[in-house]
Amino acid sequence: MHHSKALAALALTTALTAGGAAGAAEIQLMRFFGDCQNEYGNVNDASQANGECGIITALVNQFNATNEGGHTVVVQTADWGAYYDLLTATYQTGNIPDVAVMHASVLPDFVARDLVTPLGSLFQEAGIDTADFVPAALQNASANGEVYALPFDLHALLFHINMDLMQQAGFVNEDGTVRLPTSPEEFIQMGKEFEEKTGQNYFATESQANEGMMVRFFNSLMWQQGVDVISPDGTTASINSPEGLKAATFIKQIYDEGLADPNLDALGADQAFLSGQAGIELIGTWMVDNFNAQAAGGQVALKNYAVANVPNLFGQDAVWADSHMWVVPKDEGRSPEEQEAAVAFLKFLNDNNFQWSRTGHLSVRQSVIDSPEFAALPHRSSYANTAQIARSLPQTQNQRAIYNAMISDITATWLAGAEPQAALDSAQSQVERILRRSNRGG
Amino acid sequence: MTAAARPATRSPRGRSRSRGWLTALLFLAPFLAVYLVLLVYPLFLGIWISFRDWDLMAGDYGPVGLLNYQDLWTDPVFWRSTRNTLYFALLTVPSMTIIAMLLALAVQGPGRIRAICRSVFFLSSVFSVTVVTLVWQMVLAPDRGLIAPIVQFLGFTPVNYLGSTTWAMPAIVVTTLWWGVGLPMALFLAALGSIPKELYEAAELDHASRWSVFWRITLPSIRHTVILVIVLQIVAQFQIFGQPFLMTQGGPANSTRSLVQYIYETSFRDWLVGYGAAMAMVLFGMMLVFSMLQLWLGRQGDDR
Repeated sequence: MHHSKALAALALTTALTAGGAAGAAEIQLMRFFGDCQNEYGNVNDASQANGECGIITALVNQFNATNEGGHTVVVQTADWGAYYDLLTATYQTGNIPDVAVMHASVLPDFVARDLVTPLGSLFQEAGIDTADFVPAALQNASANGEVYALPFDLHALLFHINMDLMQQAGFVNEDGTVRLPTSPEEFIQMGKEFEEKTGQNYFATESQANEGMMVRFFNSLMWQQGVDVISPDGTTASINSPEGLKAATFIKQIYDEGLADPNLDALGADQAFLSGQAGIELIGTWMVDNFNAQAAGGQVALKNYAVANVPNLFGQDAVWADSHMWVVPKDEGRSPEEQEAAVAFLKFLNDNNFQWSRTGHLSVRQSVIDSPEFAALPHRSSYANTAQIARSLPQTQNQRAIYNAMISDITATWLAGAEPQAALDSAQSQVERILRRSNRGG
Repeated sequence: MTAAARPATRSPRGRSRSRGWLTALLFLAPFLAVYLVLLVYPLFLGIWISFRDWDLMAGDYGPVGLLNYQDLWTDPVFWRSTRNTLYFALLTVPSMTIIAMLLALAVQGPGRIRAICRSVFFLSSVFSVTVVTLVWQMVLAPDRGLIAPIVQFLGFTPVNYLGSTTWAMPAIVVTTLWWGVGLPMALFLAALGSIPKELYEAAELDHASRWSVFWRITLPSIRHTVILVIVLQIVAQFQIFGQPFLMTQGGPANSTRSLVQYIYETSFRDWLVGYGAAMAMVLFGMMLVFSMLQLWLGRQGDDR
């Protein structure tokens, strides 16, 4: 009896001291980017991984295997469409993750309600140099003079190009670069010419109102005309302005003239591009690595892959961009060890920012952008200045609601034959209501 | 004496009556507790929240009067969702009732094949909405689906049903019918089984046709079940959410966004619980009106 009690006490002390001495903690990481445990579950070296899912999975494995504090990161993956609803729910259930991924466009919602931990002083202690972040990224991660997130990338829209089809259409310059339109009229006219000569679609993008790639394009075209979709103070919208009408009419024309297939969903658009059925795919930086690998692999019709910035069609260079960031959700129950582990993990991610930029995303660290290894990545020189022309909505709340309202109305112009002006008026009235409510006008 | 005796005679009766009350209350308590906590309290809380600017993550920002209801009036997506929901219910409720009844008539009675058919038709109700929508997305896929080769064989080009503003809703209706027909069929089977056999025997003696047997005996006998099924279907189908949310996300161009989906998005994506609660009240009112109308119409016949 005494014996077993003593044993138990001994076991307890050992357990306590072992845990306390190392200061090791197990922390929860919540993210999207997909689940690829099958393929990358055993990869401990991020440089051996490819794609968003592969690289982040390998980064976590690498951290778990090598970090000096003996910390363990446990990953909870959520489907992209349900991610924020699930993250929101954790605040109610109490099972709040220690680190979570978040878009720059969503951060204002969480900052305004005091739901994320301020990180400025913690970064300083850990040796994360915020001065190394490019200005746009640092601004995205900050609010009221405080840093609330570790910026991880800047992701923008790009034109992904099938050079063989462009050659066939006669759109390749003597220096081997692709000739892209410089105005909406030229876009349509080149598109028709392209389709005559190649028999394929000039343009392909997700058009089924799920991801709203064309809304990002619409926003880009607005900035190209020098108009902000949302005013800097986040109180008014200019969606149904004359500039908006120009952009929406042009987008509808792309479909009306048969230059793009309106039936393509996200997967379908990628498939059409890879199988040589489209000259240009409009999608983000995150596909560069993937398309490059597929074109090199020789299994698909796409052989000669190139990439370019979204061209200037309306006067100014500008393109939609957002940013993936890491936050530490506020949690009263988090122990100092867990917080320390979370910051150590953020430091590790920041140190390995280059690995993440291999996906095709733009690095947010000036030192990485200036490094020779970054310049040596495939196709990077074709969109080296994207960070300079990248634009995003002002830091207003409820950008997801704004985005979804615009998706429904703008896609209706080609999916349901809605008139551009009517669609924009409808989007405008909804976005105005959302903005009024975000500013707590009811 | 008499005045003093009166309370004496009354009190035991009073005590027994109050004891009866207590016993009744005791038996009712479990149900009442669940009913009050899970139904009555949330209903009134919902009504109260619908008059406030209530944020999911930050809590109550205070009263806003009728603003949530005013915003509804000018919100095109709300009207679109309401129209979609009504359209969906209009397509689903009558067809579900008729198909369930036909199936029940076909598979009632003895015989092994009928028994197997009964289980088969009921089986689809067992699946979760995730499984059902996944299966039907595969069936409906324009390039590799089950329907595409048939359409091609008939000489037409396959349609992207879920990507078309015209066909997306009917596709969701078909999915729902396939999924939900089991329960109303079971209700009809139970009702058909309880019709006295003598009626049919009498009809047989009179050489009544099968049509008039159905019209004059079967249908009048299961009238109350028909009404029950219709009311249950109205209540269920007005709350359509999972199928469009998983199959089309409410698209294309809002053509399948249902009221419950919009309530969900407003409350849990945009965190505007007050506004979402106001929509929920409208949905509640609609379901109440249609169910009452149906019950009233059903009772009309009983007075005759």
